[in-house]
Amino acid sequence: MHIPDGFLSTSTVAVASVISIGGVAGAVKIVGKELKEKQVPLMGVLAAFIFAAQMLNFPIAGGTSGHFMGAALAAIILGPWAGVLIMTCVLIAQCLIFQDGGLLALGANILNMGIIGSFSSYYIYRLIISFNNSRNAKLVGSFVASWVAIVLASIACALELAISGSSPTSIVLPAMAGVHALIGIVEGLITTVVLRVIMASRADLLESQPVTR
Amino acid sequence: MDISLINSYNEQDSSCHRIDARAKFIFTLLFILCIILTPPDNWSAYIAYFITIISLISLARLPGRYVLKRSLIVMPFVLMLAIFIPFFKEGEIAGSYNIRSWNLTVTYDGIQVMTNLLIKAWLSMLGLIWLTSTTKTNDLFHALGRLHLPQVLVMILSFMYRYIFVIIDEMMRMKQARDSRNFGGGKLWQLRTIGNMIGTLFIRSYERSERVYAAMISRGFDGQTRTLDNLNFRRSDIFFIITLVIILAAINIVNLLVLN
Repeated sequence: MHIPDGFLSTSTVAVASVISIGGVAGAVKIVGKELKEKQVPLMGVLAAFIFAAQMLNFPIAGGTSGHFMGAALAAIILGPWAGVLIMTCVLIAQCLIFQDGGLLALGANILNMGIIGSFSSYYIYRLIISFNNSRNAKLVGSFVASWVAIVLASIACALELAISGSSPTSIVLPAMAGVHALIGIVEGLITTVVLRVIMASRADLLESQPVTR
Repeated sequence: MDISLINSYNEQDSSCHRIDARAKFIFTLLFILCIILTPPDNWSAYIAYFITIISLISLARLPGRYVLKRSLIVMPFVLMLAIFIPFFKEGEIAGSYNIRSWNLTVTYDGIQVMTNLLIKAWLSMLGLIWLTSTTKTNDLFHALGRLHLPQVLVMILSFMYRYIFVIIDEMMRMKQARDSRNFGGGKLWQLRTIGNMIGTLFIRSYERSERVYAAMISRGFDGQTRTLDNLNFRRSDIFFIITLVIILAAINIVNLLVLN
């Protein structure tokens, strides 16, 4: 889902970058207010964690492999703004270390995987546990939230490619959404298991107030 | 940890390595912007950009094999995004194939669009590789800070870069333990194992960040990191950026004149 340079038109790049710059600036301010000087070590180490977790590949059908995205996990536990901040750092590092995702396309990638991924998963998770705050509801909520985050991010990615004229909407949208509907199931299952591990050993982390505003 | 992750050439020394990180970053940004703005049929411009970046890469004394290998690592993913275009773009038909009852049509327009996207992506990647292979990662983050990326973000990035290696090591140990226990079973079982690993890794990372924070607080951390920031714009940096901007501008002007 990392968009490389060259696939997006300049206007798409500009719009996506403006939205991302606004979002990241908001995230820096809000998270900083909430966590104060703890922000730097906590966000830094957890960004490194997401980066490392993304290196655990698992086989998907047909010789391809996928990896964990992590936006939903970060957003559910630490709140959407912290999720945006962590994903932004991960994406910047991936762009600068692996050339995975382009430099000018960074704004679009942050918008898709950071902003859309974090906010959609956080609010869907909250919506589900507002009906029923049991352990099972949290697990189901995290599954649904992760799935939606992946699918929405891929739809945003497809739309950006289509608007830029790189591929026709009628093809890229169902293709991206279809593939990511499957990847989303895997992401959802992993997030659920991760949440279960956290509930079993450090349940207090889930009780702490996430950064919402 | 995996040695390929550590950029092994950005600690070297060459005329390119000595240029201020800000100048290099701005140039790379402009370079990629110019590539994106170039119309698809403008082959001479692409060749000119290619020559520009190849001369910079050789000036930095980066081995060609290393650059090629790094630029090709991500290409499969790029190809996956582009491979459908020739089949669905409307235009003059280059060939059509019948696979069972499925009719595949390839158009010239589609092939041109795809090749163009691949060339743009690859050239941009060469620019990025040149930037990251001639600049120490921490210098690059500081340069981003000087270019008005929020200071907090720069600190988080530096922290992340410091701990990536620690946490990847931790993950590799877990992975080794998993593999030595004959990682198999059904897909669901595998996913459960990976989930458990990531969960454990999350808790360890979180607790590590708490220990790091406690250590920082006890050493008087007040929300600001102070580093020896030795970025300074010298005359050679100004010379570098002006020369390359002139080259990029010349490529664009020549092409405008040729096209009209």
